[in-house]
Amino acid sequence: MEISRNTMEVAAAATTALVGAVVCYGSLENGIAWGESGPQPGYFPFCIGSLIVAGSLANIVYTLWKGAARASAVGPAGEAAGVVAAEPFIDGTRLRQLAAFFLPILAMVVISAGLGLYIGMALYIFYAMRVSVGYRTITSLLISAAVVLINFFIFETVFLVPLLKGPILEYFGIY
Amino acid sequence: MGNFGQLMDGFAIALTTHHIMVMVIGVLLGLVVGVLPGLGAPNGVSLLLPLTFTMDPISAIILLTSMYWGALFGGSTTSILFNIPGEPSSVATTFDGYPMAKRGEAVRALTLAFSSAGFGALVGVLVITLLSGWVANFALRFGSPEYFGVYFLAFASFIGMSGGSPFKTLVCIMLGLAAGTVGMDTISGEGRLTFGIADLTRGISFLIVVIGLFGLGELLVTVDEGYKFDGVKAKLSLSVIFRTLLELPRYWVTLLRSALVGCWMGITPGGPTAASFMSYALGRRFSRRGRFFGKGEPEGIVAPETADHSAGSCALLPMLALGVPGSATAAVMMGGLMIWGLSPGPMLFTTRPDFVWGLIASMYAGNLIAVVLVLTTVPLFAFILRAPFSVVGPLIAIICVIGAYTVSNHMFDVWLALIFGIVGYVFKKLDYPLAPFVLAVVLGDKAEDAFRQSMLSSGGSLTVFFETPLVGTMMGLGILLLLLPLLSLLFGAIFGRGGGADAGEAADHQTSRP
Repeated sequence: MEISRNTMEVAAAATTALVGAVVCYGSLENGIAWGESGPQPGYFPFCIGSLIVAGSLANIVYTLWKGAARASAVGPAGEAAGVVAAEPFIDGTRLRQLAAFFLPILAMVVISAGLGLYIGMALYIFYAMRVSVGYRTITSLLISAAVVLINFFIFETVFLVPLLKGPILEYFGIY
Repeated sequence: MGNFGQLMDGFAIALTTHHIMVMVIGVLLGLVVGVLPGLGAPNGVSLLLPLTFTMDPISAIILLTSMYWGALFGGSTTSILFNIPGEPSSVATTFDGYPMAKRGEAVRALTLAFSSAGFGALVGVLVITLLSGWVANFALRFGSPEYFGVYFLAFASFIGMSGGSPFKTLVCIMLGLAAGTVGMDTISGEGRLTFGIADLTRGISFLIVVIGLFGLGELLVTVDEGYKFDGVKAKLSLSVIFRTLLELPRYWVTLLRSALVGCWMGITPGGPTAASFMSYALGRRFSRRGRFFGKGEPEGIVAPETADHSAGSCALLPMLALGVPGSATAAVMMGGLMIWGLSPGPMLFTTRPDFVWGLIASMYAGNLIAVVLVLTTVPLFAFILRAPFSVVGPLIAIICVIGAYTVSNHMFDVWLALIFGIVGYVFKKLDYPLAPFVLAVVLGDKAEDAFRQSMLSSGGSLTVFFETPLVGTMMGLGILLLLLPLLSLLFGAIFGRGGGADAGEAADHQTSRP
């Protein structure tokens, strides 16, 4: 699977346009009119939302226009644009690498939300060291234990910033 | 020279054993952050900030600024030894630094980089020392319309001088402003853009945005680009270091020009990255040895490094004196100041002179410490970097996740950081500028307050922004800057296709690949 840069440009701009529209919609609740003593609370966000939409549309138009220009034009201008566009946004291999890196992080956050950050990070580091790096099980276990202990020491003892413990650690009396 | 006496008082505050220890720790942390790709100065400072809430503000700001210096220096180490910029602002250092290191002149290249960086930082701090009091005095006359004018000018200069697509900059600024408006409205007390989600009423912290955009986003970009170390071994020898230091005065033209470029780009919110590229381009254009640039030319290291560091330190001047940060990292620090209960801006100079001058004095000491520490730790960091990224990457990832959680002890923030991480990845690859995004999140509230207060005082008439010559000039300049991309496009169309736009795009493109 390969995603071209142009596709991604348009997709990103469409997403930002959507966000802009949502911002506009949300600001309607606060009143966007110009009251007696200046603007109402929603006025500023509404302007921001509108500018996001406008800027995003301009980005889409610019991308499509550049794409069309490249398709038709031969010469220095087309070449200059071609240098940027020849490279795809991402190809299948890199997308898989990226997913292999990001999905475990996502899983860690899901687990952490339920069972606490220490358990989440222990499982994540173990997984990363065992599966992604390919260390032996015992090495991975040791690294993961070291990471948890170091973090526990830094945050709970040195800086007195308690991290989320979750039900399991609390059951064992660690708050 | 009223500033001089105050600076001496500042030294008395900064040069205590406690604060020097804080500087050493800060610089070391900064070096780690600067050396590791995926952890940058803005992100590092954001991660450290929640841990400083309990410290006294002076120690806290010294810790954070020292970390900033360390990160700026650390970025150059990897650029030269591994051809991997640890920081976006040290990309330009790779062009000549790595070829030199490959030729076996690694130590000379490193010494050149650090000493010229130290010189740049020194010029930057001198500029701050000399100008900050004056700028602050000037800014004391500012009312809300003037403040809005300053913010407007800051955002407009991003759009006008970005070099990339002005519309992308516009979208980034506006998205940042939108993120800043989420939560309680400071004037009416209404919740805005919360869509009934309770977690959003607290607002979106700029720290979360930075950890997502710069931390997780950068990490994803690093994974995507497939990350390989092809390191050059460096063996430090004192005689080479001294010989290189003696060689430095020969480049005085480059040093001065680059420092000027850096100061200018740091005070106007161009930031260190833009400054280093611009200085490199100017060096290639004006130096007698310009045609050797890119093949391991010493001046090709001196130019970007000096500008990078003078811009980095000068970025703190508008933050202190006006409350408008000159770079993403300065924006984070300014947010920190507000959390510590200090309001950045001209009043800070009268209410907390000990804080301001202690900080400025610590910049001299901190940079000196940084130069020494960065040279002595080169072998150590070269060793750390031999660890494969598949080991380092997950460690950085958990630092980001924990950092997001510690901002206010909410898991919701971690989810937000993940979302901003994906946004940061996509934006970075598509050359959307991220610094204005952060600046907008930090400044959003203040800009809006200034706007609405001016409206309250003028009874809702926009003419208040053009009433006095001062605010009128600022607004006029801002509007001119907004129109700049359009004007250059017109000029380009009239006088044939100029190389300027292409060069800007190319530089922007390179910036986005650390």
